[in-house]
Amino acid sequence: MGQTRLIARLALRDLHRRPVEAMLLLLAIMAATTTLTLGLFLREAGSDPFQSTREATAGPDVIASTGPNDGTPADLASLEALTDAPGVIDHSGPYPMIGAELEASGGTAGVWAQGRDPLAASIDQPKLTQGSWVRDGGVVVEAGLADALGVGEEDQITVNGRSFHVVGVAVTAAATPYPDVCYATCWFGAWEPDQDQPLPPSDESESQPVGAPDDIVTFGPPVGDTGLVWLTEADVSDLAPAADALSYIVNLRLTDPAEAPTFVGTHGSIRGPALATWQDILDMHTNVVQDQQLALLSGSWLVGSLAVASIAVLAGGRMADQTRRVGLLKAVGGTPRLVAAVLLAEYVVVALLATAAGLAAGWLAAPLLTDGGASLVGSAGAPSLTMSRVGVVTAVALGVAVVATFVPAIRAARTSTVHALADSARPPRRGAWLIAISAQLPVPLLLAIRMAGRRPRRVVLGVVSIAITVSGIVAVLAARAQLAASVGTDELHAANRVLLVITVMLVALAAVNAIFITWATALDARHSLALARALGATPREVSAGLSAAQVLPAFTGAVLGIPGGIGLYMAVVPDEAPIPQLWWLLAVVAGTVLVVAVLTAIPARLGARRPVAEILQSELV
Amino acid sequence: MVNNMADPAVLRAAGLRKEYGRGEGLVRAVDGVDLEVDPGETVAVMGPSGCGKSTLLHLLGGLDRPSAGQLWLAGRRIDQIGEKALAQIRRHAVGFVFQAFHLMEELTAAENVELPALLAGRSPRAARRRAVELLDQVGLADRAQFLPPALSGGQRQRVAIARALSNQPTVVLADEPTGNLDSAATLDVLRLLETLHQTGQTLVIVTHDARIAATADRLITMRDGGFTDQTRLTGGTTGHLSALAGLDD
Amino acid sequence: MRQEVVLAMLAKEPAHGYQLRARLRAALGPLGAALNAGHVYVTLTRLERAGLVACQRAAGVADRPERKVYELTPAGQQRVAQWLTEVGWPKPDLAFHLKLIAAAAAGLADPLTIVDTQRRELLRRLREAQRAAMAEPDGSDAALLLEGIVLRLQADLRWLEACEQNWTGPGSRW
Repeated sequence: MGQTRLIARLALRDLHRRPVEAMLLLLAIMAATTTLTLGLFLREAGSDPFQSTREATAGPDVIASTGPNDGTPADLASLEALTDAPGVIDHSGPYPMIGAELEASGGTAGVWAQGRDPLAASIDQPKLTQGSWVRDGGVVVEAGLADALGVGEEDQITVNGRSFHVVGVAVTAAATPYPDVCYATCWFGAWEPDQDQPLPPSDESESQPVGAPDDIVTFGPPVGDTGLVWLTEADVSDLAPAADALSYIVNLRLTDPAEAPTFVGTHGSIRGPALATWQDILDMHTNVVQDQQLALLSGSWLVGSLAVASIAVLAGGRMADQTRRVGLLKAVGGTPRLVAAVLLAEYVVVALLATAAGLAAGWLAAPLLTDGGASLVGSAGAPSLTMSRVGVVTAVALGVAVVATFVPAIRAARTSTVHALADSARPPRRGAWLIAISAQLPVPLLLAIRMAGRRPRRVVLGVVSIAITVSGIVAVLAARAQLAASVGTDELHAANRVLLVITVMLVALAAVNAIFITWATALDARHSLALARALGATPREVSAGLSAAQVLPAFTGAVLGIPGGIGLYMAVVPDEAPIPQLWWLLAVVAGTVLVVAVLTAIPARLGARRPVAEILQSELV
Repeated sequence: MVNNMADPAVLRAAGLRKEYGRGEGLVRAVDGVDLEVDPGETVAVMGPSGCGKSTLLHLLGGLDRPSAGQLWLAGRRIDQIGEKALAQIRRHAVGFVFQAFHLMEELTAAENVELPALLAGRSPRAARRRAVELLDQVGLADRAQFLPPALSGGQRQRVAIARALSNQPTVVLADEPTGNLDSAATLDVLRLLETLHQTGQTLVIVTHDARIAATADRLITMRDGGFTDQTRLTGGTTGHLSALAGLDD
Repeated sequence: MRQEVVLAMLAKEPAHGYQLRARLRAALGPLGAALNAGHVYVTLTRLERAGLVACQRAAGVADRPERKVYELTPAGQQRVAQWLTEVGWPKPDLAFHLKLIAAAAAGLADPLTIVDTQRRELLRRLREAQRAAMAEPDGSDAALLLEGIVLRLQADLRWLEACEQNWTGPGSRW
């Protein structure tokens, strides 16, 4: 027990001595833990708002719909038969529906127009977020559709050419979110037709209107982005050219909502009504969120790797200062194990703090990302900190800390005591061919290459960290390009937010890394550069050399990051083949190099003008 | 030999001052020093620790800036010019030898010696050739490919002296060149300094060691930042020697 | 010149006068260059009278000191053997020390000036001894002698530093 306390005391004392480094270490690990926490929280986001909506609207467990098919009118009888099926305790409808085209000032969309009773239904009574429920001449627009078209109460829209007044906006748990609203003869959901059975006409084909005139609007499922609006039953009948053209929908409640998929399995058939469970609808709502979660989890891998690189740089830099301390510990009787334990203990402490901070930050930030979008009521509420989540994040933070400090700790523990005390444990490396090549180059490059050659590990870390960052940025760009082309605005906004979070984390960590590495290099090379100045190098050559020593690895890293990012995106989302535009990629590379050059120029210039004698004198001690 | 009719002195200082701190904590490391060094002269500066002789040497070599006073090196005024111009002057006018040698540990002897030439922009081949030549002059031709840790203290200092000569400087400034050396190594360096003196190189040496000081033409004693004594050491004949031995009594 | 020195030069074998001088010069290097022949012969004569050295006259040669062959007597050999075992040490420079005290006490001169003058002189001698030492081949007897002189001069110079501190600092009692 005494040893543990000793270790703890030594570790804390050292952290106290170097608060800035400890803080930076904390921030690096915290970036990783925050991103990870957000990713974990997102898993349950989307389901909460859906549950709230389901409760608020008395959402159905199963939705059955049927429509005209190949000239035959909709089979209303089969729909009504379902309402008496075993397990069904209540139903609402059947309600008439017609596919229509909606025109608003903000755009047009295909919609299912559902006819409803002005009185409240017992199952699936959509909850109004604006205005009031249906009345003759009035239409209630589903919230997601309303958001996309910019439609609100009091607006005028036309449905199939007829003008209506928007009397309200509502949310429902009985429909998939815009733009994926899908009723028969559109199929979606748990029930799949058998391989042998012939499939009904696909939802992309135009279905034939029943006895319709030549200036056709389809009365089957709308093609493309589809939304949902509610009208009175009378208005829907008016919109339909004939009673035969109507589709019907009925909402069912089961004794056991969890059994909805089984119910659909039992009763679903290729010729019968299209059935969908509430779980299917939940899935569609959370699809958006799943993509976000995927992005965040991948992002947290990236950020985590970057954090490892940062810490490795820090740890490597600190090890050099710690060597003498290690020597002292060993000289007074510390075993190598004790020494390694002290070093690791410091990082463990920081990692634990970073875990707590990351969990807190993720918990606070999660609502910003997980608000379910316009289609559902309310936000996800405070996500819960379950034990398993806390455990995962802690494990990751500790893992990052241990991995990054493993090598330096082992090396420090193994160093002979004499060497450690004399601080000669890390002599610079000699690369004879590098030295020979650098002799041919102008002075700043000569200095840069020789500086890099002294500490190859640090150079590699620099390249790796920039490569990871640029990979992340390129993957983010690819994702944005893909998303902009394919999803609705709602998803796009949410996804962009997540991508922004990842990008900010990566860039911040990379900047911290770049500053670290420059600082460490400047310290390490201070003596050599002062000597170079004493031998005739100008301050500008020296600071240019110091900058070049960072910029060249950064350029390499940036170039490596481009295929890295594309590969990363393809690994995460296998079907897509993204190609961010060439000029974007060039901009990223150029931007990285520029930013690194600027970040490193400042410490470089600062050091280059001090009188040489001061620096050399201090090295004599 | 430098032959500048306008200013025969290679190095000239007037009222040179270097101060640190302020008010109560003011320290005058160099306090009003006047100095003239002629071409080909060897000047030694001796004094107790902390008398400011190293600081003086740093000022003379442009490694540090004076707080006041004027300084001419190879005919140019250098106390007020920018770091860049100073660097360029250092390339050709000054060769510095440090007590701690300050060799780059990861470069061989030859690579260390050629460094000033490379920094001055000479071609790698010319720089290497000159380096080998100089190592030969200091008697280390066979050690050209050795790294500093493999060389003895005396050898390292000789490499450092060769490096200082790389760009044919007008003056070589040596700060306690034998401070870290044992007696035998000191002798090696001594011989080398003597040889340099004979080739006409101007030398300014700061030292504790009386033997090194004795190689000088002129000896300056420094105390508390100022010069207290200047002596010419040349003169006298070997007639003195037998008087030393007391053979006459 | 100490008598024992001449005796020692004869220890190996008898020698003519000029051979003797040659041996001395070889052993002393440049310091032996200005060896006074007269001193050597006066010492030889004294030694002869003391019975430590015997002189043989070479046959058929005039009575000139250089031509005489000198050799050690048994008493002389004994004396040499005894001298070899003696251990001694040159006397410290009491005179200089007293000079400083006297100057300060009588107020005749500043001790520091005396020290400075002495230092200058010692440095000049150091310079010459050093030059001479470097001119001799490494490892020769003369080089060794000169190195000894150099070291002693260095030691004296260090003592002068101590004197300087003593006569500058608050420890100075005069």
